[in-house]
Amino acid sequence: MTKTNKEKLIENAEYGVDSRYHSKKERELDATALMEARLLRMKKVSKGQIIRAKLLQLKLKMELHLKNAVYDEHNYFLEFLEKYIDTIYTKRTDFAKDIGISPVSLSQVINNHRAPNEEFLLKLMLHSEMIYKNVCVFHEKIWYQIYFQQKISDTMYSKRNWKSEVEKFVGIQESMINNV
Amino acid sequence: MKIVEVSTGIEFEIQILPIKNTDFKLLGKERYFFNWRNERNYEIYKLQKVNSSDILGLISIEPIPNEWRIHIRLLTVSKENKGNQKKYDKIAGNLMAHVAKIAVAEFGELACVSLKPKTKIAKHYINKYNMNLTGATISIEVPEILDLINLYDYD
Repeated sequence: MTKTNKEKLIENAEYGVDSRYHSKKERELDATALMEARLLRMKKVSKGQIIRAKLLQLKLKMELHLKNAVYDEHNYFLEFLEKYIDTIYTKRTDFAKDIGISPVSLSQVINNHRAPNEEFLLKLMLHSEMIYKNVCVFHEKIWYQIYFQQKISDTMYSKRNWKSEVEKFVGIQESMINNV
Repeated sequence: MKIVEVSTGIEFEIQILPIKNTDFKLLGKERYFFNWRNERNYEIYKLQKVNSSDILGLISIEPIPNEWRIHIRLLTVSKENKGNQKKYDKIAGNLMAHVAKIAVAEFGELACVSLKPKTKIAKHYINKYNMNLTGATISIEVPEILDLINLYDYD
């Protein structure tokens, strides 16, 4: 192949790929062959690489959650926290030990019997920094963002429950209404 | 994620967003090489510099959840970003990495991104993105897919 042709080839590859299947049959044959090859390759993937993939998946899901805020009854902070711990530890007590809290305290947080305090969030932030160091970029503020997003979600979702009670103690003077 | 202005080496922040219906009238074949209206039943993403509405690259994909795979249907950069005289570099790579991120977010350790280019072009993709060849299909999975994401998503 001449240099000119080679350059042209790279140029073509860079500007566009038409990779559409032309028939159902072509697509099915390719899918079968590809799956067989992938299953063989998957056997060679190490446990560490699987953990890295799961941690990256978790980070991407957290970022997506922050982009597309959902106000419902689900506790996403706890879902992400459980996923994080269970991806890297066989026993949750080991995580508790590594961040210097009691297993009981951790269990209470995970089961939503008590809110994580400032210390817990700070330790979680530092722990994640260490874990993600060799996996991918992990912004240090992400756990805080997820946590406060959850607070907002809880507050907004339960508004009908607390509004009438809180309203009794909130009012403004009539003159202010006219001035605003 | 960033692209690089070839003449200066300056990096620019980019965003990759789903295409809007109103975008189609801007996507002429002369600048974007394919008839993108034909792809309107599939997911299409556009690459733009942050704070700019000019579309520099496009990709259409087909998620295949029962195979934990996303198949790239069409990928292109805009005409002025093609070849040796291109204005910006890393457009195609960022689009590939974006699809890799969607695949990993969805399928985790089983994630796969595939495409089926012409044989000669396949070689370029295999070398550049460390993809695997199966028949005429090239694909990227764990662990290489993680490296691809980290190569482009580093800020």
